[in-house]
Amino acid sequence: MFRKLLISLIAGSVMLAACTPAVTPAPLPAVTQAPPSPLPPSATAPLPTSTTISLTYTDGLGRTLTFSGPAQRVVSLAASNTEILYAVGAGAQVVGRDEASNYPEAAASVPTVGGWGGFSNEAIVALKPDLVLAGGITSPELVASLEQLGLTVYLLPNPTTLEELFTNLETVGALTGHDADAATLVASLKARVAAVDAKVATVTSRPTVFYEFDATDPTKPYTYGPGTFGDLLIQRAGGTNIGAQLPDPWAQISLEQLVVANPEMLLLGDAAYGETPEKVSARPGWETLSAIKTGKVFPFNDDLVSRPGPRLVDGLEALAKLLHPELFK
Amino acid sequence: MRRLPYIWTLLFLALAIILSIAIGSVFIPPKDIWGVIAGVFTGYLPAGLQTSALILWGIRLPRTVLVMLTGAALSGSGAAYQGLFRNPLADPYLIGVASGAGLGAAAAMSIRWPYTFWGLLAVPLAGFLAAMLTVLLVYSLARLGKTVPTTNLILAGVAFSAFATSLTSFLMLRSTGELRRAFGFLLGGFTQAGWNPALTILPFLVIGLGFLILNGHALNLLQFGDDQAQQLGLPVTRVKTLILVAASLVTAAAVSFSGIIGFIGLIVPHVMRLWFGADYRRLLPLSIIGGAAALLLADVIARSVLSPQELPVGIVTALAGAPFFLWVLRKAKNQGYW
Repeated sequence: MFRKLLISLIAGSVMLAACTPAVTPAPLPAVTQAPPSPLPPSATAPLPTSTTISLTYTDGLGRTLTFSGPAQRVVSLAASNTEILYAVGAGAQVVGRDEASNYPEAAASVPTVGGWGGFSNEAIVALKPDLVLAGGITSPELVASLEQLGLTVYLLPNPTTLEELFTNLETVGALTGHDADAATLVASLKARVAAVDAKVATVTSRPTVFYEFDATDPTKPYTYGPGTFGDLLIQRAGGTNIGAQLPDPWAQISLEQLVVANPEMLLLGDAAYGETPEKVSARPGWETLSAIKTGKVFPFNDDLVSRPGPRLVDGLEALAKLLHPELFK
Repeated sequence: MRRLPYIWTLLFLALAIILSIAIGSVFIPPKDIWGVIAGVFTGYLPAGLQTSALILWGIRLPRTVLVMLTGAALSGSGAAYQGLFRNPLADPYLIGVASGAGLGAAAAMSIRWPYTFWGLLAVPLAGFLAAMLTVLLVYSLARLGKTVPTTNLILAGVAFSAFATSLTSFLMLRSTGELRRAFGFLLGGFTQAGWNPALTILPFLVIGLGFLILNGHALNLLQFGDDQAQQLGLPVTRVKTLILVAASLVTAAAVSFSGIIGFIGLIVPHVMRLWFGADYRRLLPLSIIGGAAALLLADVIARSVLSPQELPVGIVTALAGAPFFLWVLRKAKNQGYW
């Protein structure tokens, strides 16, 4: 059971780094024009734009990297990165992934290069990537090792807002030569967020929600505190997050506090670990919660709020539908 | 045949080195390995072997060296600690090197260091300094006038370790993104590629282990007890202090880059003692060679069982080491050696 908690915490830590104030805000990519194309003016066939522009980016470690063209062989070191790569249309360029990358399904056929226990430097080198896309969970030691081995590593910083997520999507699009796809994706995601915002603006009540992502110890379950996407999305979807009052982003709440807060809805982010509404109702002391009495206990796909990828918008929509079903008739 | 034990352990080490170079998550055919080795000597690398050369030369060889050094350090200082404390349960972490290093590393990990040379060195440096500070603190706490009673050292070490370990757990629970890193450090593992870690710890090991090897005779005398050793002409307190400092220095250096790898420093000296006798003049060098070989084998297992995932090597040392040790213990003719 300890392992389960640990895994949840680590899954959570994807966003956690985003909550520490020391995190550098997602940098805006600076695009610099390369010297004019060496091709003679008579050449009629235009070169693909991507090879005539060199892109300079500052990554999440504050390093400035210059790319002469889009990456063709990408190794993703985070599940969120894998989702972003596929979402911007660069799925075919992904040659390696971390163990946790289970979405989209096509990613499952990509060889893994490590994960929870640690990454294999040699497995990464053997794939001959021209870009290693690291994430907020990647340790600086791993980045340094891969750089020493001559690989180009870009660390995509953890976003703290949806805006920063969109910046990340555009960055990955540019790095992989899918600028246009990324722009389309971002536009559609923004439209979907705006649609939810417009609907939520009309609500009169903001139900209180308790979101648990690990209730291994049902007397003090873990929930998303301030600064997490879990918290941010619940609020944006028109709810009131009980966890928002807690001091830590990944925080435990005591059953006593929970009973006092008396949430109107329970969301089970740990449904993937086998928690069900029935089991929750049977927990000693929980039967007094009004969410249990009214049957508003729902399993929830935790990946939709814990992975800083494009599916956060799916998470926002799913939350809004659960919180305000009347808006989505 | 005084040299026979050395021949056996060196053969064992050679075998372990070959396995460590040959086995990894990427399969490199023996033919290609020969090609790369030949390329080093001839200066000509056939096309198509670049990646294999990078893996062998840039990843496996430096790692093999770092693992050897770490195993040698832990096992050598373990033998010295056991002799110093005259206690079969002593290991290099007995008086707080591990808990101190763990606390230092976890504290350093809770800060986001800039991605620079020194920023990357922050965690190993903090681990090393905290380990040495812990030993110093425990030593001064255990000191009574001009003597440092062994029992006091052990008790002060155990008490301070419990304190530091709790503080580490607290830091880890409070920490946000660094839980996995801290956990990895506490279980031990070799995460950094390249030669820097091995080259950084090498001077500490040469000085510390060299000193220990030269003090084999002193450790033999200490086995008679402090009073006897003193009567035999050994400046007991000074020698004990120096051995303690040397062994702790070696352990702290090893731990700083590889994390806290358990069991090697406890078990390898015992195996060597069971097989080859308890004379510290021989036991120390044999433990050093044997420790290097044993940790290499553990590391080969750690990176192949779940390949390309890597297990923390600390899991393997105890999981594979404990049954092996029990087997040696049952088989050994050298019973009652302690």
